Amino acid sequence: MGCVAGCAGNGDGLNQNGMPITSGNSGTGPITPDLQSIEDNVFTPICSKCHIGASAPEGLQLDAAHAYNALVGVPSVEEPTFLRVDPGNPDESYMVLKIEGAPGIEGGQMPLGETPLPQATIDAIRQWITNGAPNVPGATAAAGVFAVLDTFPGDKSTVIAPVPRMVVTFSHEVDASLVNDTTVTLERIGDPDLDAATVERSVRVAIASVLAVHNPAVLLITPKAALNAGVYRLSVRGTGGGALADLNAEALGADRAVVFSVEPAQ
Amino acid sequence: MIGRSARAGLRWMLAFLCFGGYAAHAEPYLAVQFGFKCNVCHVNPTGGGLRSTVGDVLAQTAIPGAHLDTGGDNWTGALGQYLRTGGDLRFDAQVSQTPHAPSVQEFSLEQARVYLEANVIPDRLLAYVDEQVAPGGALNREAYVIYWSASHDWYLKAGQMYLPFGFRLQDQTAFILTATGINMTTPDQGVEFGWERGHWDAQLAVSNGTAGGAVTSDGKQYSLDVAFVESIWRLGVAANNNDQSGGAKTAFGVFGGLRTGPISWLAQAEITDDRSIANGQGRQLATLLEADWLIARGNNLKITDEFLNPNRAVANGEETRWSLVYEFTPIQFGQIRAGVRWNDGIPQDPAEHQRLYFIELHGYF
Repeated sequence: MGCVAGCAGNGDGLNQNGMPITSGNSGTGPITPDLQSIEDNVFTPICSKCHIGASAPEGLQLDAAHAYNALVGVPSVEEPTFLRVDPGNPDESYMVLKIEGAPGIEGGQMPLGETPLPQATIDAIRQWITNGAPNVPGATAAAGVFAVLDTFPGDKSTVIAPVPRMVVTFSHEVDASLVNDTTVTLERIGDPDLDAATVERSVRVAIASVLAVHNPAVLLITPKAALNAGVYRLSVRGTGGGALADLNAEALGADRAVVFSVEPAQ
Repeated sequence: MIGRSARAGLRWMLAFLCFGGYAAHAEPYLAVQFGFKCNVCHVNPTGGGLRSTVGDVLAQTAIPGAHLDTGGDNWTGALGQYLRTGGDLRFDAQVSQTPHAPSVQEFSLEQARVYLEANVIPDRLLAYVDEQVAPGGALNREAYVIYWSASHDWYLKAGQMYLPFGFRLQDQTAFILTATGINMTTPDQGVEFGWERGHWDAQLAVSNGTAGGAVTSDGKQYSLDVAFVESIWRLGVAANNNDQSGGAKTAFGVFGGLRTGPISWLAQAEITDDRSIANGQGRQLATLLEADWLIARGNNLKITDEFLNPNRAVANGEETRWSLVYEFTPIQFGQIRAGVRWNDGIPQDPAEHQRLYFIELHGYF
């Protein structure tokens, strides 16, 4: 075809994903059940055409810098009772359900409007999850400051009960010895049935906080009793003695809190 | 089913035809072909979704090749004095061919959508829902309320909505829609002010900027779209800034339409800069050139030429896509679309050389 609006590039100096060839990214090869291969063959060339940047659908960024922390151990926005990737359990991983077009998913099969992924590709993704969905070797030593990347529920968001768990995703792996009820807290700070004065009195909510087994950059917080309708504040302490820190003893440096509302299911 | 609203719609249509205009129902090329703003034929002032009473009537009279007259009233979607409904269904049979990979042949229910409009205060205050009911489970796309001024010069919208930015094409995989990330798969929650006075068609939306994801910062997304609409041409500009914690994304675009006899032309060009993506990889350029030839009533030939530079910081990585689509609308509410899309890109990526052949049944009401 002609080049009315512009011509396709000749690809000189680029790898299969259109990135400049440097040592270490000269090619992709056939897909294998590891995250690097899945990123090179699926996430980068297919998914991140849409799932990238500040306006990524459902806030899900699948470029290499974000994919792991956005997927592994993180609840789906569409179906929060599922994890996007549930390590060791591909049948319960929402990403697998979406790429297979399984019954019960919200919206369309991924990649949306495109040819479904080949079965060999889906099988590789399933095997990676069955293997525990390990990160790219060496990725845990990511550069940059230790910080909160994402939370579920989000700040000032409203979620529908039940809320089986809350999630805080960090930029680095967290020191598990610092995860306790002084660094991670949940308070009920509002109740739509109470008056304003009563609402000011916060009530501590019992929780269990653990790091995701296969992704210690993800903190999973499970309430010990069902959350009633109301307004809640989830806090992580990043200052003072015993503050949350990464494996290099770098503390968060600031406290972080998100406030969200829980509404009863209709 | 017809009633006062339908008769009013017919009068509208006749009035438009008498004053030299035509009618539109779904895609922006039709708006250009007929010289209308989107809100003439859609409940949503920025286009897409439920057709207005005028749009429903035109879809049965001016758009199809023939009108099947069974002696009954025309459908207007009215469920009573205050409620209206509508829907779209697209079902495809397609073959995709990618180098070095087996071809894929499949039937695919692309989407089934149902719309509901409640005219709480007729012509002034309405509530609107756009629900995708298939494939998969139900998925809400739009849910908002609109307050219109008495003169319909301006409106205020609040809720979950598609954001305004250039042409809202039917093909959600078009480069100009994926580059900005502003399309009909990424509705956002916020408010929108619209100015529809005279030839002006303008919107400013402020939204969360998370495309349905969790809100993780106080940053907001601002979308501005301003167009001047004449009967045979239109010209517009669009801008977007999405300030999120990982870095802001900005987009700027220009778009225009022109009717030359039976051919309607659409063009759009835009640049984006997403600073939440490392190493300058978020700087893109996307363009669209589209020609729609109305061969005869109910017969449209669409040709599109798209260009994408997915990374303006890197040379030689450009992609193109050509589409040739024949749209046949033999009777009201039924359309058959058949076409082919050629992708071209860097030689080392087979996915950028995919060929897609499809035939689609599009039912709408």
